[in-house]
Amino acid sequence: MKDLIRASLAIIVTSGILMYVVSILEDSSSAGGGGTITVFNWGEYIDPELISQFEEESGITVVYETFDSNEAMMTKIEQGGTSYDVAMPSEYAIEKMKETDLLQPIDLEQITNLENIDPYFLDLAFDPGNEYSIPYFWGTVGIAYNPTLLDGQTFESWDDLWDPTLEQEVILVDSAREVIGMGLNSLGYSLNSRDADELREATDKLKTIGPNVKAIIGDEIVEMMRAEEAAVALTWSGQAADMMWINEDIDFSVPEEGSNLWFDNMIIPKTADNIDGAHQFINFMLDAEVAAQNADYVGYSTPNEAAMELMDPEVTGDERFYPTEDLRERLEVYENLGLEMLGIYNELFLEFKMDMEK
Amino acid sequence: MEKLSKMGRVYLAIVFLILYAPIFYLIFYSFNSGGTMSSFEGFTLEHYAAVFNDTRLIIIVLNTVIVALLSALISTAIGVLGAIGIVFIRNRKMRNAVLSLNTILIVSPDVIIGASFLILFTMVGVKLGFASVLISHIAFSIPIVVIMVLPKLMEMSDSLIDAATDLGASKRDILTRVILPYIKPGIFAGFFLALTYSLDDFAVTFFVTGNGFATLSVEIYSMARAGITLTINALSALIFLVTLGLVLGYYFFSNRARMTIRPPGGGN
Repeated sequence: MKDLIRASLAIIVTSGILMYVVSILEDSSSAGGGGTITVFNWGEYIDPELISQFEEESGITVVYETFDSNEAMMTKIEQGGTSYDVAMPSEYAIEKMKETDLLQPIDLEQITNLENIDPYFLDLAFDPGNEYSIPYFWGTVGIAYNPTLLDGQTFESWDDLWDPTLEQEVILVDSAREVIGMGLNSLGYSLNSRDADELREATDKLKTIGPNVKAIIGDEIVEMMRAEEAAVALTWSGQAADMMWINEDIDFSVPEEGSNLWFDNMIIPKTADNIDGAHQFINFMLDAEVAAQNADYVGYSTPNEAAMELMDPEVTGDERFYPTEDLRERLEVYENLGLEMLGIYNELFLEFKMDMEK
Repeated sequence: MEKLSKMGRVYLAIVFLILYAPIFYLIFYSFNSGGTMSSFEGFTLEHYAAVFNDTRLIIIVLNTVIVALLSALISTAIGVLGAIGIVFIRNRKMRNAVLSLNTILIVSPDVIIGASFLILFTMVGVKLGFASVLISHIAFSIPIVVIMVLPKLMEMSDSLIDAATDLGASKRDILTRVILPYIKPGIFAGFFLALTYSLDDFAVTFFVTGNGFATLSVEIYSMARAGITLTINALSALIFLVTLGLVLGYYFFSNRARMTIRPPGGGN
C-alpha cells in the first residue's frame, strides 16, 4: 500500500513540475496584455518568427493550432466548443462555410493593408466583395515532372500526359475535381462544367490514360517525386514547390489549355472571441514585408503585390508559380457546384478509378 | 528452461530486426544534413537544435506527457476500484453483463469514442482543450485497467479475506492490507498500459483537441500537407532514448529491490 501511495505522489509531483514548466514556456513565448487570439492554420504554413513579431507589436498573445484538411477544420468550427479567431481554409470551403453561416463578416476598413493585394485576386466568385475572406496564398494545378527521368518531353498541353512513352510514369492526385478537371481542360471545356455530355466525354477520355498511370495518391506524391520513384505528376503548384525545394531537377508547368486557380484565405469564424485581434492579425499578415518573409518561408505564391516587389525577382519572375497575365486569363476558380453536381463528379471519378483496375 | 536452439535464436534476431529497423532508420536520418529521408548527405545535429528551439513543440510534448501521467493515474484509481466491485458482484449474470459492457468499450473503434466525446463535450459546453483531452483519455483507459487487474483479483483466494475477517480486520484494512498488496503487480501493469495508450492515442484525441491545445500525435498528423520535417525524426529519437532509459531504469531498480528485500529462502 505504501508504495502505491508513494508512486501516486511521485506521478502527481512530476505532473505538477511539468505543468509549471509549460506555464513558464507559455509565458516566455507570449507578450501578454492585449488578450489572445487563436489561429487555426494548415501545418507548416506560416513563418513562426512572424507570430512572435506580431505578438511583440500588438501585445496580443497568439495561440496557434494546425489542421490537415478543410473538412477537419470545418467540423471543429461547426461543432463549437472552440473559439478560433482566424482560420485559413481553401476557397471551396469558404462557400460551404458561408452557406452554413460559420463566418463572421470582415470589416474591410480595419484591413488597411488590403491595398497591397493584387486586384486580380479580389472580389472573386466564391466571395464577392471580399465580405468574408482575404487571400493568403494562391496557386494553380499543373504537371510536375522530372526531365532527368524523361527523354525530352515537355508538358505544354494536357494531352502530353497521354503520350504512349510515359507508360507507368504518371501519378495523379487523388481528388475528383482535379482529375475530372484535367479531362475537361484537355478538351477545352470549363472546369466547372455542368454539362452531362461534356463530363461523359471527359471521363471517357480520361479512361484512355490508364496505361500511363502509376498511382492515384494524396500527399505521398511529394515524397515519391522527390525520391524519383515517378517522373510525372498531376499536382498543385504548392506541392510542386515542395518537391523542387528538395529535388532541384523537378520542373513544373501549367498547360496552355488552362487550369484551376486555387486560394487559401484568411477568415474569421462565427465562433471567434477576439474579433478585433483577428482583424489586427489579418492586417498584419498583409503588410508588404511580413507577406514577403512569409512567402519566402512557405514557398507558395503570394497575392500581395507590394510584397512581390520586396522579394527576390528570380522567385516572383518565375512564370511557373507566378503565371503571366496571358495564362491567368485561362485559369478558372472552382465554383461551388452544389451537392448534387459534386456527387456526379465523384461518381465519374470513381468510374475512372474502377476502370483503372482492369 | 531449455536453451534456445540455433534456429530459434536466428528467428528471434530476425523478428527483432524487423521490429526495430523502422525506428533505427528514422533515428539514422535525424542526423542527415540533406533535409529529407531519401539520401544521407552528411552528419548534423541541427535538427536536434531545432527541437529545443521550437517552444511550441516542446510545450506539446510536455502536455502529451502530463495528460498521459494524470489520465493513467486517475484511470488506474477508478479502474482498480471498479474491478474490485465487479469481482464482488454475487449474481453471476449481472457480473458477466458488467464485464461485457467493459469489454465493449475496449473493442469499439476509437473513432466512434472520439466522435461521441466531441458531441458530448460540445453539448454540455465543456471547452475543448486540456480538460476534454484528459477526461476522454481517462475514459478510454479505465476499461484497460479493469482488464489488467481482474485476473489478479480472480486468482486471489477467498480464504485470504475470510482469514483477515476472522482476525478482526475492518473492511478498510482488508482493502488496503490484503487486497491491494496482492493485486499490486496488476495495478502497475494497468497503469503502464494506460500510460502507453494515452501517449500514442490519435483517433480520440484528434476529435477533442482544440483552442490551441494539441498532443504530439495530432500535431505531427497535421504537418502532413507541407511534409514532415526531420525535426520530428530528431524528436522521435529523443523520445525513444528517454523511453529506453526508463525501461532500463525500471528493470535495474526492480532487480535490485528484489535482491535486497527478499530474505534468503523466504517467499513473497
